Amino acid sequence: MNKEGRGVMIQGPVQERLQISPFMAAYVIISMQIGIGVLGFQRIIAKDAGTDAWISVIGAGLTIHIIVWIMYKICETVNGDVLDANVYLFGKIIGNSINTLFIFYYTVTCAAVLGGLFEIIRTWMFQSLSSFWFAAVYLLLGIYIVYGGFRTVAGISFFGLVIPFYLLFSFGFALQYGDFTNLLPLFDHSFIQLVKSGYHMSLSYLGYGILLFFYPFIKKPEQSKKFVHIGLLATTFIYAALAVITFAYFPLGLLEKSIWATLEMWKIVRLPILERFEYLGIANWALILLPNIALSLWVASRVTKRIFHISQKKSVIFIALACLIIVVLISTRERLNVLFDYTALVGFALAYVYTPLLYFSLLIKKKVKAK
Amino acid sequence: MKKSHFIVAVLFCMTILSGCVDRKVIDDVNIATGIGIDKSGNQFLGSIMIPVFKPDKSFGNFTFVSKGNVIRDLVSEMQKKASQPIVSGSLDIALFGEDVAREGLIKTLDVFLRDPSVGARVQLAVVDGKAVDIFKGRYGDRGNSQYLTQLLEHNMNQQNLPITNLHRFLANFYKRGQDPYLPMLKKSNHNLVTITGLALFKDEKVVDILHENKMFYFKLLVDNHILGVVKVKEAHGESTVKSIGLKKKMRLIRRDPYTFSIKIKLKGDLTEHQERMLKEGEIRKVEKQLAKQIARECKMLIEDFQRKGIDPVGFGHFAKSRTRSFDFKKWNTEYKNAKFKVSADVHLIGHGVVE
Amino acid sequence: MANLFKSIKHIINKKNIPTNQKDHQSSLVKREYSKDQTEDWEKELTKSKDYQKSYYFNQKSGKKFTLTYFSTLVEEKVMDNNAVPPLLEGEFYTIADVKKLLPIADVELSNSSNDIPEMLMKGFVMLTLEGEKEFAFISSPKQVVRSVSAPEIEFSVVGPKEAFVEAIDQNINMIRKRLPIKELIAEQFIVGKLSLTKVCVLYIKGITNKEIINTVKQRISDLEKDEIADSSYFTQIISDNGNSPFPQLLDTERPDRVTSSLAEGKVIILVDGSPHALIGPTSLTEFFNSFEDYFLNWILATFIRLIRLFSVIFSIMVTPLYVAVVTYHYQMIPKDLLITLVTSRRVVPFPPILEVLFLEVTIELLREAGARLPTKVGQTIGIVGGIVLGTASVEAGLTSNVLLILIALAALASFTTPVYQMSNTIRILRFPFLIMAEIWGLVGITIAFCFLLTHLLRLTSLGFPFMEPVFPLRVKDFKDALFRLPFKSQAKRPQFLRTKDSTRFSKEKANKKKDIDE
Repeated sequence: MNKEGRGVMIQGPVQERLQISPFMAAYVIISMQIGIGVLGFQRIIAKDAGTDAWISVIGAGLTIHIIVWIMYKICETVNGDVLDANVYLFGKIIGNSINTLFIFYYTVTCAAVLGGLFEIIRTWMFQSLSSFWFAAVYLLLGIYIVYGGFRTVAGISFFGLVIPFYLLFSFGFALQYGDFTNLLPLFDHSFIQLVKSGYHMSLSYLGYGILLFFYPFIKKPEQSKKFVHIGLLATTFIYAALAVITFAYFPLGLLEKSIWATLEMWKIVRLPILERFEYLGIANWALILLPNIALSLWVASRVTKRIFHISQKKSVIFIALACLIIVVLISTRERLNVLFDYTALVGFALAYVYTPLLYFSLLIKKKVKAK
Repeated sequence: MKKSHFIVAVLFCMTILSGCVDRKVIDDVNIATGIGIDKSGNQFLGSIMIPVFKPDKSFGNFTFVSKGNVIRDLVSEMQKKASQPIVSGSLDIALFGEDVAREGLIKTLDVFLRDPSVGARVQLAVVDGKAVDIFKGRYGDRGNSQYLTQLLEHNMNQQNLPITNLHRFLANFYKRGQDPYLPMLKKSNHNLVTITGLALFKDEKVVDILHENKMFYFKLLVDNHILGVVKVKEAHGESTVKSIGLKKKMRLIRRDPYTFSIKIKLKGDLTEHQERMLKEGEIRKVEKQLAKQIARECKMLIEDFQRKGIDPVGFGHFAKSRTRSFDFKKWNTEYKNAKFKVSADVHLIGHGVVE
Repeated sequence: MANLFKSIKHIINKKNIPTNQKDHQSSLVKREYSKDQTEDWEKELTKSKDYQKSYYFNQKSGKKFTLTYFSTLVEEKVMDNNAVPPLLEGEFYTIADVKKLLPIADVELSNSSNDIPEMLMKGFVMLTLEGEKEFAFISSPKQVVRSVSAPEIEFSVVGPKEAFVEAIDQNINMIRKRLPIKELIAEQFIVGKLSLTKVCVLYIKGITNKEIINTVKQRISDLEKDEIADSSYFTQIISDNGNSPFPQLLDTERPDRVTSSLAEGKVIILVDGSPHALIGPTSLTEFFNSFEDYFLNWILATFIRLIRLFSVIFSIMVTPLYVAVVTYHYQMIPKDLLITLVTSRRVVPFPPILEVLFLEVTIELLREAGARLPTKVGQTIGIVGGIVLGTASVEAGLTSNVLLILIALAALASFTTPVYQMSNTIRILRFPFLIMAEIWGLVGITIAFCFLLTHLLRLTSLGFPFMEPVFPLRVKDFKDALFRLPFKSQAKRPQFLRTKDSTRFSKEKANKKKDIDE
């Protein structure tokens, strides 16, 4: 399937049979937002705002709505994706050079997610797991998904959220051992501290930027807005609930020592047929992270195809190879953390600086052209 | 298309050949179920208990013992003696000799915390005597570790023992303004182990031991549920009450000096009376007497903790949760001057099945 | 055609002849005919044993005529009783008179000799008249049909007990009887260079989406294959992805199931010579629906469907999970179970994966042996083999008894899948899972699962997504997918088929509610 439209450039509108229904857009965005960050964001946000950090979680979550609103506006203005916007604004040469940066960003994001998954599995399950083979098989899976086209990618995003949904119930066990007085007194931190913690939180939320790229693949983009915003609220709710449960479960002193607080909470779960839940949870995480990998690969390869006019079938292989090399090179946790910090920083800049700027320049350009 | 098939096939074969990771086949490892740490001179004396499975489906226990200066040493020493690797993923119980516990446990527990294969439900206990002796006994027909964990768990869920495990202990330890506590075990003979009381910690060190008969009141103060049994004495004789419901309300009344009020509401069943069946009025008397007794005993416990400078109930944490920008440095002195008001209300709802 | 007959000349050569004098006789016969007829086609046909040519003489007009036919393709009784007597005794002078004279309706006149071999192969009798260029074809085909019997693969306790047979006309008859409407269209195609198989595409005009019909027609006419033995050839050739282990067209032997699919707006492919009809487009969930579900109360049916779903997951996952947990994740095993597992594993000298493969292959052997042997012997082999081999291998310490239970349960669970082709797929699927479980434990299982999921997401059935209604999510279609809700709620046709008329019946009338005591 999908034979036509591949190998040649699709600059025109995307065919309807390749598009996804409006509400599926929400799944794509949520699945990109939930990634490695969920496993350990609690410690980082608590550094500044302590147990009040859940307020920052909600606050940071709300700011995303504005950014996503701007993203929709950008795409509506040019009636295409961000690549079109850049070309429209800066002309072909400069616009496409900016677009090239997206390839790097999404390739590195893909590698960082994969590196993070590998690190978790290595630490918790298999000390002697080979990063090369693991990444190779996982990327092969990613390529296989991307070959199926965006609908398959969206399908994986859907299943990557729906199937592991049951994991949320497991945190009920942590509630039994939770002490909610840990969260008291409320508002014991200054506004500055909350903002700082909100900044760290916004890094965990990253991923919604994917909207700028798959916008042309939504059937009725106008209708998708409400679903996407509901989806964003859902993510915010999940993160906030998780933060509250974590703060109740861990006193701050213990949380400082827990790199992957979410995983640590599974240690208390015990079921009649399952003594230790975290192994099941980690294995499931390989499914939860799959949309992240597939979407990043898809975006990177699609941008490559759009700029350099290489078929996406080829470009996705090159990008996967690049990811593989990066993952093998970042063999230590220090390097991984550096990678995480930089991708997060770039992601933050893209979302909170680049996007509004792009929108305003578009507005100005439009007005100038109209005159 | 064919080329890609080939690549997939090659990758797949190579994965099988080189991708295998460290395997721990259940019958090829020694599954450690209990670990004990004692002192022997200046060194640690470590013991690890593993179940030995026999072909007739019964099983016994085997205990590895070794000495070392650091906890990590102990395990590597034991690996030298074991025919199959000792793995810690199914650890059930960790016992500490009283002498070790008096010197501090956090170093050991940090090893547990760092090892992702150790679960958070591992039971901890302090031993009156040597931990290794407990492992060398033979209890019940389900193996020692099952016996010991079940002994502790059933006492926590249905009797007077406050709930503890690795996570609880660490949470209490790292929570500012609260001190941890652990059950105290003693080997009474080769086939039995008894809970003799509670080891009370100041930070990571044991400083005091609470006798078993005060545990009911202690559990009232620290836990939210209690199904324990208490004896009450009044004019008509001695009766036994089994609690079935607990409601507790702690309030911070004043800050200078810190004054706490604790209201305990207990629902219970009168399970046994020494002499005869009681009349309605007499039951009310038992209720009153028990209420008084609870208030008195709890207050005595708290004041005792105050004198020793330990805070297992977590008044510090409670005060912090009610105060913005709470200063823990000041609290240490203020705790000594704090005042406590304990009141109790008992309601007996059942008297057994005979009239 | 001519070339073909040349190539098989030597096989058919032994025509009407005693074997000892073969060479001599055959050359003689050849000469005889070649004297008489010069046409090419006849040279080839005369080599066949069942080729008959008889010369007659009309009593009234005195005209000579010949009847040419294949005795194996023609109902000779009909000829002898209905055709030959009037021809001998009736009066006729031209070939047009023959048509009036004969009591047989299907008589065609022709003068092109190119048609002759084809018509003869179809079971017509050719009549030539002395001095006439035109000739007549008299239809009298022989029907060798098995009688309709009860369905064996899709057996149901309640409901109709009719199954398709090998004759396409009989099959269409069974469908038409159930759907006596003029909108039911049966378009015929001839497929296969050699077999010239009749293939019928059935649909209901005004309900079925035109796109589906066109796709099916297009694929059938594009098909390149010399002979078609069964409808299962079609499943493999015209399905969207031929390299998938999953069947993408649903095959059934039940006319009632076909009828209900037609009413839903699907397309049916019937192949002559095959007692199985193909239904498309289909989705994964349909392969786990038995038609008997509709004969049961909806609560029971839904429960049974969920049981089947569970058993499929169980059947694929249980042995890989065993391998993963026993090899890598001993921590996950509850303490009480640990004892049982370790004691049963202690005596086994192999690593878990070999132990599992050993038993899995044994089960597959038993199944295959049972399928190849006659029914009664097969059953015995299954039971005896299962019990004896199982017990013996546990006693010999080759496998653990816990595993034996799991394998037996998994095998049992795999047979609950109502569609035979799918249940084969299910059994195969666990092997990649096993290998991945051996390599990376639970993570490996997850990765294998992701591959499976992606594969299913990429599959389409006649261009329609195979994972429907789960993805793309169509909540309304769940009413007859994973669940089987009451008929009252089935007023709309499945959304994903994009039917022209989406309403099956009026929901309002069906759902009339009455108050108490009315």
